Amino acid sequence: MHHFATTGINQRNSRTQELFRLLFMMMTVLLVLPVLIIMVTLIYKGGAIVTLDFLLSNPLDGMTAGGIFPALFGTIGLVTVALLVSVPIGVAAAIYLSEYASDTWLTRLINLAIINLAGVPSIVHALFGVGAFVIFFRFGTSILAASCTLAVMTLPVVIVATRESLQSVPMAFREACWNMGATRWQTIRRIVLPNAISGILTGVILEVSRTAGETAPIMFTGAVFFTPFLPQSVFDQTMALSLHLFVLSTQVPGVSEALPYGVALVLISIVLLMNSASIGFRMYLRGQKKW
Amino acid sequence: MSKKLFENNLSTVMVLLTILTMVGSTPVFARTEIQNKGSDTLVNVAQAWAEEYGKRHADVAVAVSGGGSGTGIASMINGTVDIANSSRKMKKKEMSLAKKKGQDPLEHIVGYDALAVYTHSDNPTLSMSISQLASIYGRNDTLKSWGDLGLKIPGCQSDEIVVVSRQNNSGTYAYFKKAVLGKGKYRMGTLDMHGSKDVVDLVENTPCAIGYSGLAYATEHVKLVCIRNGNDDSCVNPSVKTASDKTYPIARPLFMYTNGQPTGQIKRYLDWILSDEGQCILSRKGYAPIKKISCSE
Repeated sequence: MHHFATTGINQRNSRTQELFRLLFMMMTVLLVLPVLIIMVTLIYKGGAIVTLDFLLSNPLDGMTAGGIFPALFGTIGLVTVALLVSVPIGVAAAIYLSEYASDTWLTRLINLAIINLAGVPSIVHALFGVGAFVIFFRFGTSILAASCTLAVMTLPVVIVATRESLQSVPMAFREACWNMGATRWQTIRRIVLPNAISGILTGVILEVSRTAGETAPIMFTGAVFFTPFLPQSVFDQTMALSLHLFVLSTQVPGVSEALPYGVALVLISIVLLMNSASIGFRMYLRGQKKW
Repeated sequence: MSKKLFENNLSTVMVLLTILTMVGSTPVFARTEIQNKGSDTLVNVAQAWAEEYGKRHADVAVAVSGGGSGTGIASMINGTVDIANSSRKMKKKEMSLAKKKGQDPLEHIVGYDALAVYTHSDNPTLSMSISQLASIYGRNDTLKSWGDLGLKIPGCQSDEIVVVSRQNNSGTYAYFKKAVLGKGKYRMGTLDMHGSKDVVDLVENTPCAIGYSGLAYATEHVKLVCIRNGNDDSCVNPSVKTASDKTYPIARPLFMYTNGQPTGQIKRYLDWILSDEGQCILSRKGYAPIKKISCSE
């Protein structure tokens, strides 16, 4: 390992090296520890009740028994509609900022706004959602209003991730394309976007994870404590896993201890499953890259 | 030319596409949705009503939300709910605000609730008078420790009473204040919990604590304090029965507000709530019914 003659100074240096390596490694382990503890606790306490029947049946007896299907369905619905709203807008905005906009005061202002939007607390987004979507746009408290609120909240994630992956595509690719006589749009569609897709996916993954878990933005705009039926359209209200978990652990008396843990396990599993599937897909796409 | 226009306005097109997608999922209005929101005290019985009603009427979906009486009343004022749940009466100020916004809130009493005083299961307290409660909860808090009451609580080292209360938009908070403190104010430094169940959960795990919450939230792990109304030694335990016959001193009506005289599906739902069937569900949840009913278990 040591290519240099070991003098006193070098020995001390390598000891310091080792010390810092261990220190940083410990910090990394510390980072993983909470995730592990959470997963183990959830599986230990709630694993037993999570069955296919639990996932696919309605809650019974004042939500103290039965399953979580309406909440599960609601969460998937909310995330899907939020993606339908935010991905097109976010990707389009990122393309504009990265491929079209020149560095003017307006672009810089827009960038600043995006960064600030990312820093707004979710409860403020919730109140914005009530004012803008529920009341002003007259969506009422509905899936549409809740999903739009979630979309606004997660737009910065999509924009920043997309813009970054677009900018990581080498400029030479675009120049080569333009020199062949291709238009800007042709270049973007045929060259830039296909090469940036893995990064864009990262943004979408991050958005899914965040939207699925959020409670504050949806509890005023579209998610309810209880409703006996599944929503029929985006203008109906719905139950959602995150709010269901909150309600079970703070509001409903006589809930068995396993139930909230079971709901938490399902919520976390959805996020982890989606994340790993998309990470796998991203790795596959990256493998296809020729640069 | 037109092609170029399309290309340069990509983001506009994307936005349009999104809107089209949303409109594409056209709503089917075969089902009536009733918005029901408010009181945390009522939320669990409201949920039970919605669940049972859903089994009988597939054409009506009752969507229930909690948040507190204040939340329900605010939504009624803004016209975003069909039925607002409240564990307190609407204030005059709220009523006139609603009128100004074109709403006409109409009050319906749907049940009664005994507000129970909870202590830890190891707490030897059997009964308390309203004036003792006032000395614990009031601004001039003369009772600060369990020792002041001549009690020693096992597991409560500091001896100081941990006073558990509710957040200030709660109807339970407002009613307890009026019933126990009269015109007085709550003392400083109470632990204000954000739900009826939170209060009971905290008291269950805190030997030094005392708290108040709806009787429906009682568990076998906490003690209910028997309440003395006057200076004599007789006390009344909180129960569905003592709340019904009004012998329990801290019992209050529970309200539902509709915008004007209810009609159609909302009227049918409210009538069902007030029927024997609806009232039996309420009673099974630990609340007192508005009339004499006979329920099959």
